[in-house]
Amino acid sequence: MNRRHFLSKLGWTSFWTAVVGMVAGLARSMYPNVLYEPSRKYKVGYPADFARDVVTPLPGEKLFIYNDSKQGFYAISGICTHLGCVVSKTQEGFFCPCHGSRFDHSGKVKAGPAPRPLPWYRVSLALDGQLVVDAGEEVKPGTTLPI
Amino acid sequence: MGNRKSHGMMQEFWRNARALPGNVWRSTIRHGPLDTDLDRAEVMNQNFFLHILPVSVHRNTLRFSYSLGLGAIAFILFLILIGTGIILMFYYVPAVDQAYPRMKDLEFVVSNGKLLRNLHRWAAHGMVAVVFLHMCRVFYTGSFRPPREFNWVVGVVLFFLTLGLSFTGYLLPWDQLAFWAITVGTNIVAYLPGVGKQLRFLLLGGNEVGQEALIRFYVLHIAILPVLALIVLGVHFWRIRKDGGLSRPEEAESPLVSMTATPASRDPAGGSLQIFPADPRKTYGLMELVKGRTPMVDRGPEDTLTAWPHLVFRLFTLSLLTLVIFLIVSLFFDAPLKELANPNFPENPAKAPWYFLGLQELVSYSAFMGGVFIPTLTVVALMLIPYIDRGPAGTGVWFHSRRARKIALLSAILTTAVIWLLLFANMRTGGVRRFYPDSPQWLIDLLNPGTLTVLYLVVFFFIAGYLTDSLREASIGLFTGFLIGFTLFTVIGVFLRGPNWEFYWFWQSWPAP
Ligand code: FES
Repeated sequence: MNRRHFLSKLGWTSFWTAVVGMVAGLARSMYPNVLYEPSRKYKVGYPADFARDVVTPLPGEKLFIYNDSKQGFYAISGICTHLGCVVSKTQEGFFCPCHGSRFDHSGKVKAGPAPRPLPWYRVSLALDGQLVVDAGEEVKPGTTLPI
Repeated sequence: MGNRKSHGMMQEFWRNARALPGNVWRSTIRHGPLDTDLDRAEVMNQNFFLHILPVSVHRNTLRFSYSLGLGAIAFILFLILIGTGIILMFYYVPAVDQAYPRMKDLEFVVSNGKLLRNLHRWAAHGMVAVVFLHMCRVFYTGSFRPPREFNWVVGVVLFFLTLGLSFTGYLLPWDQLAFWAITVGTNIVAYLPGVGKQLRFLLLGGNEVGQEALIRFYVLHIAILPVLALIVLGVHFWRIRKDGGLSRPEEAESPLVSMTATPASRDPAGGSLQIFPADPRKTYGLMELVKGRTPMVDRGPEDTLTAWPHLVFRLFTLSLLTLVIFLIVSLFFDAPLKELANPNFPENPAKAPWYFLGLQELVSYSAFMGGVFIPTLTVVALMLIPYIDRGPAGTGVWFHSRRARKIALLSAILTTAVIWLLLFANMRTGGVRRFYPDSPQWLIDLLNPGTLTVLYLVVFFFIAGYLTDSLREASIGLFTGFLIGFTLFTVIGVFLRGPNWEFYWFWQSWPAP
């Protein structure tokens, strides 16, 4: 490589480095740092509000709250793990209208294309005694809040 | 002296003033009636807009039965979309609480607003269909052969840009269709291994389909994708010119050149006729610099016509027809608009626009396969076609040979049969999970009508290639299979899927919700 080639390579390399660096820097601004989305921690009410052994659907939060007399409280997500439609409650468990996925009461996939069971979310008690569901924190199925 | 001069000045002034209209006319239009071939040739160089066209075109290019005018129609639709789109931008506001009412305004308040929206929507549908058909035309006439390989790749990119434009346009009315199409669409993106989740986050500008997503899709729709499309379109047109215009059969090109390209068995005297051998570098062809061909003595001018009026007239007629047809359609059929987006309840069935329903059908078996693997495979396979199937035979002729036609037909029938068989087998048995409830996800991704159809197509390609010993015929079979598969899955998705994505025949009515 003679001097001329070396300088030309150097020139092109710095040119492209500058271009790529600048584009990358500008592109970073497309990745939001602050989200103006509603919090995904929901206060859903006092434990006494939930009837025993009944599933309470919360359509706005897309959650199903269970008050199991033996195990306690737990919350299952109502968002289909296939492509994000909202599931509905049926006799056998849950059903997604978009592509017909079926889940049992614990959220396990029974049929259809859903690749994962419906997630369970952390349920805890707030200081004022209300139940709080954190839809940002998945827990292992079977994790409950004993009351 | 001064007196005389001013007198002369006045004279000149009046003379020029009188000649003003004529001079303005001549300076802008720059030519009189085009009576001679020289005039007709010159106008193509003088006029900025006509300059995109060559001065003279081969007869074969003008044959409607060859090109079907599909590329031109696609471009005309693109222009209609730009025109209507710009006017729509005056009324549209990309905010979640305004977008939908603005649609209603267009429908009820703005003069001809409904027509505008209809035209925009139907032209978009039309463009997707026409671009796809254009791709089929180019494939079946073998027009992607060297030196046009790269332009085929550019064309594939344009096809996906068209789809991207349609998809981003769908979100903007913020109705139920929009909301759930974007929810499902971006969740498909999330299945991309590795980067999927981040990509979805980036597309939506957050975790949920909301204001940020709307504005992002808006900018993509009105700025980024159209500009990209225009640039790539420019490259596409440029390459057409540089690759020597539309493809045509070798024989139509020049007897001299074709002798050199075909085996001597065709014409034993062929070798002695190599006066002007094909030159791999550049030479003049059709009055401009193109790659790979030498001038044709005598033959050239005989087989070409001046672009003005032959090509220009055809293009204008085509534009007029396209415009009229889409105008009529828009006058009689309204663009769909569902209820206001409701994030809590998807429609049942929640269907994407028709050109994505084939994909949605595949996705309903397996999101990863239907949403990521099969589309990626399709893109890669499409782009590789011109680099795999390179033989010169059959370029510029529909279907290459009689046997290729037969293979295409066979492939069409077989693919139809295979798909129906798989579909019914899947419905009757209830799929893998019925036999084996705890089956791992990969088994479900593998054993479903979508993946198995793709597997069948690959097997078909190699068997057909082995039996015919012809790459071209095998790839015609494969492409036909892909075409039929795509069409069939689309038809199933559009017409045969009802609530809960269950199967209903045309004549079966859906249960009341
Ligand atoms: S989104 Fe639920 S089955 Fe597809």
